[in-house]
Amino acid sequence: MLFPTATFAIFFLIVLPLSWLTMPWPHRWRPFIIAASYVFYSWWDWRFVLLLAGCTIWNQVLAVRIWRTTDRARRKGLLFLALAGNLGLLGYFKYYDFFVSSTDNMAAIVGYDLPLSLKAIVLPVGISFFTFMAISYVVDAYRGEFEPTTLEKFAVYLSFFPHLVAGPIVRPSELIPQIEKPRDPRRVDTSRAFYLIATGLFKKVVIANYLASSIVDQVFAAPGQHSSLEILIAVYAYAVQIYADFSGYTDIAIGIALLLGFSFPQNFDSPYAAVSVQDFWRRWHMTLSRWLRDYVYIPLGGNRRGTVLTYRNLMLTMLIGGLWHGAAWTFVVWGGLHGVALAGERWWHGRSVAPARPPAGWPRWRARILTFHFVCFAWIFFRSDSFGSAWDMIEGLFTGWGEPSPLVTSGVLLAIAVGIGSQYLPARLPRVVMARFSRLPVLAQATVLALALMVTSVLGPEGVAPFIYFQF
Amino acid sequence: MADRPLPQLPPLPDEETRTLEQAAAPADPPPEPPPRRRARPEGDDGPPRKLASAGHALVVCVLALAIGLVLNAPGAHKNAYNKPAGWQRDVALALTGPLAGVSHALLLDRPRAGVQTAVGRSGNDDIDTDLGLPPTSVATTTPATTVPRATTKKPRAATPTPPKKPAFSPKRKLRIWIAGDSLVITPGYAIVRAAGSSPAMEPVGTVDGRVATGLTRPDVFNWFDEIRHQVKELHPKVVVLAFGGNDDKGYMTGLPDGMSVGDFGSWAWRKEYGRRVGGIMDTINRAGALAIWIGLPQTSSQDQTARFDVVNAVAEKQARKRPGRAAYIDTYTMFAGDDGGFAQYLPDGSGRLEKVRADDGVHFERAGGDMIARIVLKELNKVFDLTSWRKKQTA
Repeated sequence: MLFPTATFAIFFLIVLPLSWLTMPWPHRWRPFIIAASYVFYSWWDWRFVLLLAGCTIWNQVLAVRIWRTTDRARRKGLLFLALAGNLGLLGYFKYYDFFVSSTDNMAAIVGYDLPLSLKAIVLPVGISFFTFMAISYVVDAYRGEFEPTTLEKFAVYLSFFPHLVAGPIVRPSELIPQIEKPRDPRRVDTSRAFYLIATGLFKKVVIANYLASSIVDQVFAAPGQHSSLEILIAVYAYAVQIYADFSGYTDIAIGIALLLGFSFPQNFDSPYAAVSVQDFWRRWHMTLSRWLRDYVYIPLGGNRRGTVLTYRNLMLTMLIGGLWHGAAWTFVVWGGLHGVALAGERWWHGRSVAPARPPAGWPRWRARILTFHFVCFAWIFFRSDSFGSAWDMIEGLFTGWGEPSPLVTSGVLLAIAVGIGSQYLPARLPRVVMARFSRLPVLAQATVLALALMVTSVLGPEGVAPFIYFQF
Repeated sequence: MADRPLPQLPPLPDEETRTLEQAAAPADPPPEPPPRRRARPEGDDGPPRKLASAGHALVVCVLALAIGLVLNAPGAHKNAYNKPAGWQRDVALALTGPLAGVSHALLLDRPRAGVQTAVGRSGNDDIDTDLGLPPTSVATTTPATTVPRATTKKPRAATPTPPKKPAFSPKRKLRIWIAGDSLVITPGYAIVRAAGSSPAMEPVGTVDGRVATGLTRPDVFNWFDEIRHQVKELHPKVVVLAFGGNDDKGYMTGLPDGMSVGDFGSWAWRKEYGRRVGGIMDTINRAGALAIWIGLPQTSSQDQTARFDVVNAVAEKQARKRPGRAAYIDTYTMFAGDDGGFAQYLPDGSGRLEKVRADDGVHFERAGGDMIARIVLKELNKVFDLTSWRKKQTA
């Protein structure tokens, strides 16, 4: 069930009142919201629900056991078991064929023919997100940072439909306390919720889809057939497309959760206004960044074990982050590029903890432009379906100047300008808009939203394209 | 924002010193909300928002959707019309039809129409199911590209020479246009890449691949109009097509009054689908171009593969009826694994395994597209002379 569809609108109009009506009685509300979330998830494939339920039970049993056990070795063993289960699940569904084909091809190079068979495994939607949330739960219990809750509450935490398929990756300490305490039906931040939903829809349906169909898909599919200008603009367009697509989704998710009375962490904060790569990662997919920091980088030793190991830890964290996005070496290279850049920034500053600011003496605008272009360069690998294709894109940036560029239209340039320009708007502006909206009468609020819906519907393409991050 | 203090890394718990009491201690209170990106002076947060009740949220949602539905009634009606056949479509049509009427009568559809006009999309809400197929007398028309010039002269009686293939060169390029449903997109771009490597070929237009469309539902997207329009506009000499991935259903629109096609695969269905496939080929031929039809591959679903067999049989039959004017590319066997069934990975020329099919078990990966492109180019080389210009150049 995709958010920008009539099916979801009907689903939500049923769930919203029932959720608030059952909210005062948690023993009714929790089964209800679990059932609603499972219905939402089963819309893709009912078998996925079994996977989600199995993942819930597995992690709950082990988290409780870890919490109750005092024997250090036994706790470690249980943690290992829980991680093996989660990573095994992810590995099987997401990476099995990738590992088998990579191993087989490497073996073939040295003349071995391995008897490995490939399976056409369907990737369950959102598996990367809910397994990471489950890992948070178990590891937090192991660290003694969060006491496991009941199975029912944990099931709500893991399956809550606004975040289920594409995040944000919410930590147990952020969501479970909210699940434990009924939300106050008199204090709903509706203006922020509606603002996020309306702008999220516009970003996804209008900006992201328009750029994808007008230039990005065509140029990335056959870079050799396009001029340098088209390739350059397609790279910028992809940067805006993926931002609009993913941040649009999480804006809608956060808005829907707010209408149900729940607060999710922010996931994007004007990433293309970043002044360094480290700053970029504090603004891009923030909930994944902090997950990688807390559950990969810090356990590896973080920056506490010397300069060389800090660089190693940065690289490993970013390589894992890259692989998380997809079972392909192009994603690994994308993560590696960011790892090298982060390590380079740290080296440049010559400090154990690099500040997220431009090098001394650099104007901020120069740092922003440099960071943006590095991020765009790395996106080439992220978007390309092979190294050959990525190389064609890079080569094409230099070899086709002066050729006709019919795909570079005023509409494309306007959409890119809107996508990037929106990141430089004063932070006060949305607050003013939301505050004014919150003071409008009910009918006026509804009319404003209906008009926004109409404009989005007219400007968007026919049909609904899936969100990019669903595949991750 | 650059000068803000660094967030403190969370302290790692000391496992050695953790006690049972600590383990049993209540969970920490919820953390403070994350710090703002930049410190703001007091009062710089903008005016405060008024919080509302859950009932308010519900009323605004219902009203916004209701008003939005009335304002967007023509679009909603078209969406309902485009839905797959079934009770959901029937219900949606029953609701949106009268709503569109009311919206029109009260002039509430004007704002939508106004925005559409402003962005150059007027007419987007029209439902067009007119196939406009040419009459079936295809045998009398022959596209210039496939008629060997030698045939206009008297053939030599003794040693019949193969008909001369129409020649193309960098000065007179073979113009190729690619269109179809989502299954054409990856092979289409592979053909564009492959054609780009030959100076005698020129892909024209963009790869016109449209998701969730086909020949059975002109109301969703009218390919008959689109192809007629594009061949006039682009003047291709070859049109590569892939259709059928969404046509394996027993429902068609654009039928003559009183006609029914029955279930999918029935005699009437095959006849009507054949008429549409043949009509598309004829439209292309009349514009002087060769039609190359990429057949459907087998998929990870056996049921779907069986249905695709039916669609393929119809398309192949229509191509056979038009020798020299249409060619059918069989992808069914091309993508079969060792056991003859569906394969997601296949060895490339050097024996290296490559992912040729997408995770959905239907669409192609880049390597799969390249496989189809090679066959299409082979077919083009059979029909056209794309290399003799090189010899002339070296001579």
